[in-house]
Amino acid sequence: MDKKSNVLLVDDDELYLYLMEKTIKEMTQDIEVNSFTDGEQAVEFVSKCTKEKKTLPKVIFLDINMPFLDGWGFLAEFKKLKSKIEQQINIYIVSSSVRESDIKKAAEYEELTDYMIKPIDRKKLAGIFTKAYNVT
Amino acid sequence: MRKRVFKIFAYLYIPVLILSLYLFLSQKKEKIELLSDYQRKDTSIKKKYLEDQFYSFVNNTQYWSTLKYPINFDPLKEHVSFMSPYLEIIRGITDYDQFRFLDLEGNEFFRAERTKVNSVKLRPLQNKIEREYVKNGLALEHGQTYLSQISLNRENGEIEKPHKPVIRAVSPIYDKTGKKMGIVVINFKMKRILDYLKLRASDNNIFLLDNNKRIITSSKYQEDLPYEFLERNTSLEDLYTSVPDAIKHDTTYFKNNHIWTIQQVNLHKIDSGYNTLSGAPLKVVSPTNWKLAQEASPSMIKASLLPIYEGLGLFNFFAIILLASLSYMLQKNRVQKELFYKELEEKNELLTKNRDKLLKNNQFITDMNHRLEIRNEQLSEFNYLVSHNLRAPVTSMATVMDMINNEKEPQNVTMLLPKLGQVTKSIINLTEDISDYVTILDNREIKIDDVNIIDLIEEVKKDFTETLLDNDSFEVIIKSDAWQQVDFSKFYLRSVIHNLMSNAIKYRRENIYSYILFETRYENKNKVLSVSDNGIGIDLEKHGDNLFKLYKRFHRNISGKGMGLFLVKSQLEALDAKITIKSKENVGTTFEITF
Repeated sequence: MDKKSNVLLVDDDELYLYLMEKTIKEMTQDIEVNSFTDGEQAVEFVSKCTKEKKTLPKVIFLDINMPFLDGWGFLAEFKKLKSKIEQQINIYIVSSSVRESDIKKAAEYEELTDYMIKPIDRKKLAGIFTKAYNVT
Repeated sequence: MRKRVFKIFAYLYIPVLILSLYLFLSQKKEKIELLSDYQRKDTSIKKKYLEDQFYSFVNNTQYWSTLKYPINFDPLKEHVSFMSPYLEIIRGITDYDQFRFLDLEGNEFFRAERTKVNSVKLRPLQNKIEREYVKNGLALEHGQTYLSQISLNRENGEIEKPHKPVIRAVSPIYDKTGKKMGIVVINFKMKRILDYLKLRASDNNIFLLDNNKRIITSSKYQEDLPYEFLERNTSLEDLYTSVPDAIKHDTTYFKNNHIWTIQQVNLHKIDSGYNTLSGAPLKVVSPTNWKLAQEASPSMIKASLLPIYEGLGLFNFFAIILLASLSYMLQKNRVQKELFYKELEEKNELLTKNRDKLLKNNQFITDMNHRLEIRNEQLSEFNYLVSHNLRAPVTSMATVMDMINNEKEPQNVTMLLPKLGQVTKSIINLTEDISDYVTILDNREIKIDDVNIIDLIEEVKKDFTETLLDNDSFEVIIKSDAWQQVDFSKFYLRSVIHNLMSNAIKYRRENIYSYILFETRYENKNKVLSVSDNGIGIDLEKHGDNLFKLYKRFHRNISGKGMGLFLVKSQLEALDAKITIKSKENVGTTFEITF
């Protein structure tokens, strides 16, 4: 791996963010984690990276229910920015919602890589990172 | 029923009645005309007969005038032989009642009287100069014949009995030299002729009248010339209240149910119409002016009209029976029809009622459905609340527990433990929120009040007194012209107004005059409360879907739990009210609550 890889965590559950960051750090030191508690902040971050030509996170873990701008709102904004983004970005919905309507709605977004239900254990995370960064 | 039958009957029968009456009247007229015609003809025949008889009398008398008598004619002594063949003639003509010769002084010098049918006797002579017929007879010129009135024969001033109606014909007589020597007077018996006149084929009354309408002979009287021997006057006026006036022309007419025929007996016609024995035309001198009258009495006319009356009666009798039964049947039919229609109408009404009931039921079911849908949504929301929002902290807790179990360094464990407290707190908060929501969902306990909206707003306003005190540029405006009272839970409505007012204050724009306006109005008969402010507004395109959802917040830097509008919507929907929003950023927001 040439550079330090980026992961973006978007969730209003701060405890979840803490636990995820902790877990990822324990797995590898090569991944830098950026986390935000709502979609609005995440959109600002992505558009800032695009403007400043910084490397975008290859993996985004996105919650649905968040204040100010929810997961769907983020996806809508992300679509607008997509034309300016060259690299492949894997967006995973990570929600505790097992609601059928949410899962169906998620399937309609081609930007999404997968829909995952909390909790995400190390094994799953490892699989995602292996796929995204071709590392173990 | 009876009245309507009679009405139909009247409609049918009246034209029939009119037609039958018309036919009856024309038949009656025809019949009367026929009767009149018969009567006229009969009168004509009788008149002709009478005229013929008079012609015969005049002609007969004229004969004696044409004889050439001896000079100083004395039939009783000197010229008995001359007279004797003539006496045979006199005896043979049975109509002769008396045969006399009178001299120029009115003295009879020959007088023969019929004593039996075929026996004539000479009688003592009398002077008759005072008699009218003698005076008139002596005044006659050559060729003239005088015809007297018909009268009862009198002898020596007394009416001869039995009554003998006679007419006297007088002609002048001349001797061989042509010297006028006197007159011949013949009394003709009228009984046969008058009896003939009285003969009648029907019950008509026949009258021979003189100039004063006195009755000479009539089918009404057995005796002729009643006025001569009866004390009372016997003219036509005495028999009838309404009689024909003096009529100059022959006539037949119908009046007061009598048919009258009057014809003049025209003796003067004899002048021209008849041939005489002598060949010379007859010249009649007469004071007479007879009229032959016939009358068909009302009873007789009635009798002739009886078949027509019977026909009318019979026809109408059958028409009444036929039309009455027809009307009855028609009415019965109509009543049955009406009954049928009525039944149909009742059935229709029943159907309509059933349909209305069905529609009501349908409406009820639709309403119910709608409520169930809302309920369903609420339950789904509740389900989500529990499954998602509770799941998140529980998952986190499981993760923390997992980490603690795997952690070998106690230092790290003490770092993880406070996280558990954090999870617990969030679970407690969540259960509280869920409890609030469940209370709303379980709306059986909600008390409905008659809420005065002005009072309620004023009450809620006090909740924010502190906020309003340090900012006097916020105003609460109420426009409640349309309505002031509404049936709703006062507790819920207070909560709703509190939340909306709280939002309006929280999200007001800085440094401008801010207000919240409550306005009541009606829409489709529903009460509507519009709540608008001139705050910072919200981008509905971005947040519209999430606006009334739990734990959604849209403005950073402003404190909020993300529960306010969620509760507002839940509380309103729990009591079947609706809320909608219109908003524009930096202009303001308007909520509309439809009760």
